[in-house]
Amino acid sequence: MATATTERGALTHPDVERLSDVNTDILKILSRPGKGWWALFLLAAAGVGVFFTSWVIQLVRGIGVSGLNDPVGWGVYITCFVFWVGIAHSGTLISAILFLFRAPWRQAVYRTAEAMTVFAVMTAGLFPLIHLGRMWHGYWLFPYPNSRFLWPNFKSPLIWDVFAVTTYFTVSATFFFLGTIPDIAAARDGATGLRKRFYQVISLGWRGTDRQWHHFGKAYIFLAALATPLVLSVHSVVSWDFAMAIVPGWHATIFAPYFVAGAIYSGVAMVITLIVPMRKVWGLEKYVTTKHIDALAKLCLLTSLIVLYSYLCEFFLAWYSGGVIERASFWNRLFGPYWWATWTMLTCNGLVPIMLWFKRVRHSIPALWVISIFVNIGMWFERYVIIVTSLHHEYEPFAWGMYRPSHVEVGILVGSFAWFGFWFLLFTRILPPVAIAELKEVLPPPLRKIRKPAEEAHA
Amino acid sequence: MTDGIKRRDFLKVLGVTGAGATLAGCSTKPAERLLPYLTMPEDITPGVATWYTTVCEGCQAQCGMWVRTREGRAVKVEGNPNHPVSGGALCSKGHATLQQLYNPDRYAGPMVRENGALRPATWEEAETLLSQRIQSAAGNALFVSGHMGPTMTRLVDQFVGAVGGRRVQYDALSEAPLREAMRIAFGVDALPKYDIAGARLLLSFGNDFIGSGASPVEYGRDFSRMSAVDEHGSKGRFVFLGPRLSVTGLNADQWVPIKPGGEASVALAMANIIAGDSGAAGPYDAVLRAFDPRTTAQAAGVSEDDIRDLADRFKNEGPSLALGPGMGAHHRNATAANLAVLILNAVAGNVGRTISLDGGPTQAARPYADVEGAIGAMAGGQVGVVMVHGANPAFTLPSGSGFNDAFGSVGFKVSFAQAPDETSAMADLILPDNHFLESWGDSEPRPGLMTLRQPVMLPVPHFQSKHTGDVLLSVGKRLGHDLGGATFYEYLRAAHEDLHTPAMGEFETAWQDALKKGLVQHDVAPMHADAQLRAPDAALTFDAPALDGDGDLTLLVYPSPRFGAGEFANSPWMLELPDPVSKITWHSWLEINPETADARGLENGAFVTVTSPYGSLTVPVWRYPGIREDAVALAMGAGHTDYGRYANGNGVNAMELLPAVSEQPSGALVTIATKVTIVPTGGGRRLATVEGSNGSQEGRPIAPAVALASLTPGAGHEPADEKGLKELQGVGGFVPVDAQGGTPEAFPLQGSRHAPYDKPEETARWAMAIDLDKCTGCSACVTACQSENNVPFVGEDQVLMGREMHWMRIERYYEKVDATAASDLDVRFLPMLCQQCGNAPCEPVCPVFATYSTPEGVNAQIYNRCVGTRYCANNCPYKVRVFNWYRFTDAIPEPLNWQFNPDCTVRDNGVMEKCSFCMQRVREAENRVALEDRGSIPGDGEVLMACQQSCPAEAIVWGNIRDPNSRVARVSANQRTYRVLNEEINTQPAVNYLKKVTFHEVEAEG
Repeated sequence: MATATTERGALTHPDVERLSDVNTDILKILSRPGKGWWALFLLAAAGVGVFFTSWVIQLVRGIGVSGLNDPVGWGVYITCFVFWVGIAHSGTLISAILFLFRAPWRQAVYRTAEAMTVFAVMTAGLFPLIHLGRMWHGYWLFPYPNSRFLWPNFKSPLIWDVFAVTTYFTVSATFFFLGTIPDIAAARDGATGLRKRFYQVISLGWRGTDRQWHHFGKAYIFLAALATPLVLSVHSVVSWDFAMAIVPGWHATIFAPYFVAGAIYSGVAMVITLIVPMRKVWGLEKYVTTKHIDALAKLCLLTSLIVLYSYLCEFFLAWYSGGVIERASFWNRLFGPYWWATWTMLTCNGLVPIMLWFKRVRHSIPALWVISIFVNIGMWFERYVIIVTSLHHEYEPFAWGMYRPSHVEVGILVGSFAWFGFWFLLFTRILPPVAIAELKEVLPPPLRKIRKPAEEAHA
Repeated sequence: MTDGIKRRDFLKVLGVTGAGATLAGCSTKPAERLLPYLTMPEDITPGVATWYTTVCEGCQAQCGMWVRTREGRAVKVEGNPNHPVSGGALCSKGHATLQQLYNPDRYAGPMVRENGALRPATWEEAETLLSQRIQSAAGNALFVSGHMGPTMTRLVDQFVGAVGGRRVQYDALSEAPLREAMRIAFGVDALPKYDIAGARLLLSFGNDFIGSGASPVEYGRDFSRMSAVDEHGSKGRFVFLGPRLSVTGLNADQWVPIKPGGEASVALAMANIIAGDSGAAGPYDAVLRAFDPRTTAQAAGVSEDDIRDLADRFKNEGPSLALGPGMGAHHRNATAANLAVLILNAVAGNVGRTISLDGGPTQAARPYADVEGAIGAMAGGQVGVVMVHGANPAFTLPSGSGFNDAFGSVGFKVSFAQAPDETSAMADLILPDNHFLESWGDSEPRPGLMTLRQPVMLPVPHFQSKHTGDVLLSVGKRLGHDLGGATFYEYLRAAHEDLHTPAMGEFETAWQDALKKGLVQHDVAPMHADAQLRAPDAALTFDAPALDGDGDLTLLVYPSPRFGAGEFANSPWMLELPDPVSKITWHSWLEINPETADARGLENGAFVTVTSPYGSLTVPVWRYPGIREDAVALAMGAGHTDYGRYANGNGVNAMELLPAVSEQPSGALVTIATKVTIVPTGGGRRLATVEGSNGSQEGRPIAPAVALASLTPGAGHEPADEKGLKELQGVGGFVPVDAQGGTPEAFPLQGSRHAPYDKPEETARWAMAIDLDKCTGCSACVTACQSENNVPFVGEDQVLMGREMHWMRIERYYEKVDATAASDLDVRFLPMLCQQCGNAPCEPVCPVFATYSTPEGVNAQIYNRCVGTRYCANNCPYKVRVFNWYRFTDAIPEPLNWQFNPDCTVRDNGVMEKCSFCMQRVREAENRVALEDRGSIPGDGEVLMACQQSCPAEAIVWGNIRDPNSRVARVSANQRTYRVLNEEINTQPAVNYLKKVTFHEVEAEG
């Protein structure tokens, strides 16, 4: 085991010379930000302004400021909700599942992925509120004791959503925070002034004692085990928002695995999208090597195949079912008025990732980055296609309609990326964006000659 | 609600006067006595409605009305079941008269023009001014009236007689050609009475009697009785001959798309075939001979065989009836066309059988020629004072008539308009009349049938209006003429006292009885029972009429089923009511055949400039398969410039394309007068249609039909085989609710019978049955529902976004429409409303239980609980749930919002709403039944849904389907019964539809 680990470590980060380099390289990211960061941050802050302005406009005037209408009751908002929940999935997958499976390449990227998860859930969680006609009554979806003895309807997938998303947020945020404690302590040790105070508080008195490491390890593996089923369950529940309805194009048993695969797919793509520039700007090439990126790309490729298979399955089954309405729905998806959205989805999610079969592509960072953007776009459109094309041509032909997103919806869509970026940019300056302690564990000798069995569990 | 104090005063007054409701006229006047129809309580109980009987003045049909008032405000109008014209039903426009009552644009009071601008005045000042001007006009007064009741007409005639002048009646929509044809053919100066219900073969030569005829409600009901299949499996056949399918035409079993103006020749050719050498056509025998079927057919654009076939049927499938072109089809030979159709009826022996020369409608038959003369007099300076009442000639006449200039040249112009219109915009003095719901009056829709109009509420206090009768009496007095009565109420009463015969008992009792019932029937002896065809006394040509211009398309201008000639164009209900044919709301459109449109590359909504020799206008096109390829059609009534906030600038006024020509010899205004050219402008606009699929069912069994031949008379309902669902069960598929035996009475479903749901046999299961063979698509139910349930209107921009809020919609699907040859026509209408599913897809998805099934099986919507996820609407396969995207009801201005039904919640922003079977009516009846100790379920027929109540076609039945003797249970026990999509998705709806019956074979699905 020890040999294997060492070898893997050696392969993983061949350019890291000394353990102390890790601390220096990572913690220097937390120093005073440059102009580029400030520019991005101000842009994000402005976007957050757009986000909340749009939302306030909608609250004051009514949800009529969106482009939604009577056949198409859900549109950009629910598309964004599913998209951001999907993005949230790869973080936990990388940090929890790959942790349990001992994947050798996760250490370099998991902190970023986890942060992304937390912020993505924070973004996603807003959309169910945004899309409500009466947001001020949104708390009625929670089962709180009240004098009227009114409970939410536990049959409704929307209630399951409430539980799924809040649980997921709680667990992923806790998991993220817990994993960061040793690194916060590392940052604390080098910090001064107010920043030091802050780290002192949030590092919860971490001193790196054996006892602390022992508890830390236990807690971490426990939370990883707790988070693992959530990766599968949360997006399954989200898929049931659709699959439990009788809308043609939604009502399909394949939805849960299809959505989970799609979520991981989009999440991994988003990790690539985020980590490539970070790696470049902060010179993290020796920590996040081509091999790491290659592993992410392979995961992307695998999930893209599952997603493509699901698409084909849906189309095949619509044809094979013989149902006039089901067939019409899928025909309309391909050749109806929203053909452009469907073909964007098929191209970005099914065709473009075929290039990932080639090692040269996987090892070309710019190519990979571009592909990851395509996947992000494709996965957003996947949800748009599922929601809008299914609703706009449903059972009653007379009641068919068209949906066009309004300015407010576009404002909220763009604003949601800004909201996510706002938190993520703050994160890169406050918390170590690469896991220092875990990286060190996989670094090769001579820094550490023998791995003790007791430490195995901490790794 | 600024009116709290006045309303209270009103209640006190009502309270102390005991049995009769007392209405204090204008506060200083003596009280006039009103009687509600229903047994009155000691005094008005807040929360309990009071009903009054009156007569609708929405169009010339004069339907009897019941008006529901709550705490002194009219909130709903319904048809008076005792009334022979309306028979209890009412059309959309009838409902919209409420919006005219509360029209926020009504004149606030009398207005006087001073230095070119109108300023408010007092009634004293206004009446003094009018008397002075009449005096100085020295006998040159002109009174232009619309249609009025007999007593009002008498008063006006008396008034103009006393002050010196004359009265001219102007009917914007007129049956003058038919009346003239009756005079020529039979020497009868009246409209005929059609027994449509008694016919087995009905021919309409372009007559839109359901949408805009002389009596749409009555004829619609009669038509449905004629054409719907009866329990013996017999069904009347309806053939429509004309260039364009109106809503009436869409109900036809066969469409013979004859050329515009071809009616006379086709009718005469048919008469020729039927009469043969029998001489049945009397003085017209020679005329008939000239119409050889072969050449005639060619000229009219149909095949000879079709004419022969039709003639055979007309003779043998009797009783038959043919209707000549009605109000919507006046071309230059309209009288001849009507005469030809009368001859056809005569040779087929229909006169005295399905056509009676006595007892026909009395209204709406004055020709344009009368007004033409008045215009000449005005232009010639022979008129000192002109008064306009109940008409808007500045809008409804073509500009070529010269009305505007002539009217403008008169020294003093008076308008009695309630609300601004194009004519009153030019007036020097405006004396706003009361709305008819605030007025006394009468009408005589049929000879001898006197119907009484009584005020149902105090005049809306926002407007200081005054009954024109009162004004005339008062002005007469100032001029020293006693016209007989201090108020119009006295005058009216005196007039009816004169009509009263001792045989009818004491007058006071008879009067009160008449007020309750709404009518008095005086005996009128039939005068023309044995009239024979007479030789024509006027020169007539039966050839195709001349059309002006050298365009390639004939322009058909037809009265709008929603606006009439424009009177309802400021009613948001009417604007937002989807046109029964095109399903377009708000804006105007030009109907064009898709072939013609393709040849010119025109898509729906493309702007074209339509040019006739008389004018041109730009309008978007709408591709309509129900119009000939050589014609285009445009509705009247839109394009107002001075008619109020909703009407102005909306659509185009078709009259701008027409010449001011009167047809000879009737003198009617010609509306099919010109050829036009259309030139695409390159631009376009989206049409605010509510239709999603261009008239196709897309192969789905939404509105299936069944051929008459495949019906078994007397067969009961066989449950659908639910093949798909059973197959699913057979292969172990998961069907959570048993698909078998899922009839409406099977609610609650197995597995959900607990708590209040555990004794289904003790509760009702409210259900509905809609007979699609009866439904004519007239859309009266849509407005009735809107009125009853406070359904907001949303405006064109919102309809364009797909946000119309109607709880009920009439879906229109084309199955067979061929504009090139005589052929079977198959167009389906389907009233779609919440299906009240027993296994409702909307219910489990709501996260907060805002929607659920009541123990009576109604799918209730709890507005206060709704948070607005819209998941229920997404999951509703029928798409009958509508969402409040904005605070639509807050945007409804005072006093238009006075119409709101206080028994029905006004919904807030962000909540879902939908039909819940007029829950407020059911609850009211349940309370009444409980108070009267009659159990807990109201009796059959004790509650009527608003849509059902209004339906002229009697297509909707509602009740407790668990009671096997209820009407809904009996109607549903029919082999035509089906439930929309139930076989596919097992929703177990409570709304049963009865398939439309066709004469031709139909495919099994769809």
